[in-house]
Amino acid sequence: MSSIPVSGSGAAAKQPVGPTRTAAFEKRLASRYRAERNFKLVGLGAVIFSVAVLVFLLGNMAVNGVAGFQRAELAVTIDFPASGITGDATSLTAPSAGQTLEMQGLPDVVTLSAEQQLGKDAAAQLSPAAWRDVAAALAEDPGLVDRTATLHLPVNSALAAGLEGEGSAETQALAKKLAAQGKLARNWDWGFLARSDATAPQSVGIWGALKGSMLTMLVTLVLAFPIGVLSALYLEEYAPRNRWTDIIEVSISNLAAVPSIIFGLLGLAVFLALFPNLRSAPLIGGMTLALMTMPVIVISGRNAIKAVPPSIRDGALAIGASPVQVVFHHVLPLALPGMLTGTIIGMARALGETAPLLLIGMRIFVATPPEGFASPATVLPMQIFLWSDEIDRGFVERTSAAIIVLLVFLLAMNGLAIYLRNKFEKRW
Amino acid sequence: MTVIHPNMADEGAKIHARDVCVFYGDKKAIDNVSLDISPDYVTAFIGPSGCGKSTFLRCFNRMNDTIGAAKVTGLIELDGEDIHGPNMDVVQLRARVGMVFQKPNPFPKSIYENIAYGPKIHGLAEKKADLDVIVERSLTRAGLWDEVKDRLDDSGTALSGGQQQRLCIARAIAVDPEVILMDEPASALDPIATAKIEELIDDLSGRYAIVIVTHSMQQAARVSQRTAFFHLGKMVEYGPTSEIFTNPIEERTKDYITGRYG
Repeated sequence: MSSIPVSGSGAAAKQPVGPTRTAAFEKRLASRYRAERNFKLVGLGAVIFSVAVLVFLLGNMAVNGVAGFQRAELAVTIDFPASGITGDATSLTAPSAGQTLEMQGLPDVVTLSAEQQLGKDAAAQLSPAAWRDVAAALAEDPGLVDRTATLHLPVNSALAAGLEGEGSAETQALAKKLAAQGKLARNWDWGFLARSDATAPQSVGIWGALKGSMLTMLVTLVLAFPIGVLSALYLEEYAPRNRWTDIIEVSISNLAAVPSIIFGLLGLAVFLALFPNLRSAPLIGGMTLALMTMPVIVISGRNAIKAVPPSIRDGALAIGASPVQVVFHHVLPLALPGMLTGTIIGMARALGETAPLLLIGMRIFVATPPEGFASPATVLPMQIFLWSDEIDRGFVERTSAAIIVLLVFLLAMNGLAIYLRNKFEKRW
Repeated sequence: MTVIHPNMADEGAKIHARDVCVFYGDKKAIDNVSLDISPDYVTAFIGPSGCGKSTFLRCFNRMNDTIGAAKVTGLIELDGEDIHGPNMDVVQLRARVGMVFQKPNPFPKSIYENIAYGPKIHGLAEKKADLDVIVERSLTRAGLWDEVKDRLDDSGTALSGGQQQRLCIARAIAVDPEVILMDEPASALDPIATAKIEELIDDLSGRYAIVIVTHSMQQAARVSQRTAFFHLGKMVEYGPTSEIFTNPIEERTKDYITGRYG
């Protein structure tokens, strides 16, 4: 019989003090709690720091980028019937309309109208490509050619800077005067999303690079996802365990860690040697990026397959499913969410990649959006790189705007993948 | 030494096993076991943990094939046909010899899909209506129909443990097997669910040859008519359940039955 210890003066004196009731133990206990508190504080600090950095980055981008979606424009009224510009719905919307209008003297008409209304100084500050905006307006609404219309046309960098209170005193004064007249203003420039690269920051657009990125990503996904998933399935479900599969496994892990520019060299040496006509094409870019993305999908795919409980496999086998039925009816559906996570990571990396694409010639000036997988193109990060290299001050804001477009594209792509993952996700 | 009670050799046996050995690498997990499984009775394998009874059970539908290191020797015949022979396809064998596992393992699909999966892959139903009939019949036989008939589209994993195990039994009988192997089917269940499973085994016996592995001697005594006692990879004694439990011949069987070890 063991007696229950009774607390009290007499009983306590007889009781030996347990090792967990000494002062030293209580001191250790206090220090354990202190360590936990400190750890929590450090972790919280780390999270706050990362959130702060992210907020600063996004805030900075947003503030600069908003200006990138705007441009300084002069209001110019053009009397088309008096100008001698002619055309009908067919000729004004034809692909060659720009050339036709240039031969009819549209650039001079624009300059003359501006000189008459705003003075010679102001007209000289009009962007040299301003007449192209007039041509675009005519293509959009051919009826304009019979009317007098007021159009908002881009100015050059100097006057745009003047409007911001920068540059020479002369242009600042001119900008102030025109702004006071209501002729010069910063307007939303939605054409930024529809145009392609140009030499003047007022005329550039992101659509060419965005379409290039979309085409390249599509090629990457179509190649890397099925090949990656099938490799993972084969290695995990069918391949025998021996020295060869060990070598393959190590090679795949190493491939995932190879610097991306090396893949560019590979693309240059292999793909461009095979298809020399496809220099700068999204097809070659996508193939190169697929090489880079595939190992990531294979590794995450194998982990996802390993995580499928063996009892599900046993259950399916015991009912008479063949190995391939077990894989496609049970293992793959359960592993797909994990595979999609790997695909998100791989594709996000591929979308932001510049280095390998430099080597296969996607660092080019693309004034018209790529027509297909085989036409020359550039991609969003490359466009950002090219614009950040420009001297003209107007490109700074355009670069920020391009970064916003890249981030939005990234979020949209990941959002779609996460939606699909949650749709397929099942509990067991 | 194996003691086999008189009249246990059965010419009409569903399964003949002769000199079966199973190796895991170098380790011999099953040592020269020979026995006949009658189609008319429930046969129970009992014995202490690690004695090889589950390993032996998994020989009958060749589930040991999925373990790379496992190697099975000896002869196992299903209706006189060698299950390792060239004319025997493993997919067909597993359709004829169904299995229920220790832990309920329903597929993470709907209750209906769980049952319909086997008939679908084996092409047993041509129309949706036929499939509906199979699903209802299997669930009814497994005693689950009344509980789930209004929620066939719910996930099979949302059922309780006992219901999941009966779902797995229904899944096994949906392909109309000849033999059902049960590997400790009630060990993860509470007593009420266990009682239901045992009742179900009773109902199913006669229609299917049933082999059950159990570590509960009471369960073996309640549900089986034939019992084999395994110890350290050998079959020690095989006979009618009543004889094994009341009048064992081998000393080791007696010790195990009386709870001397286990």
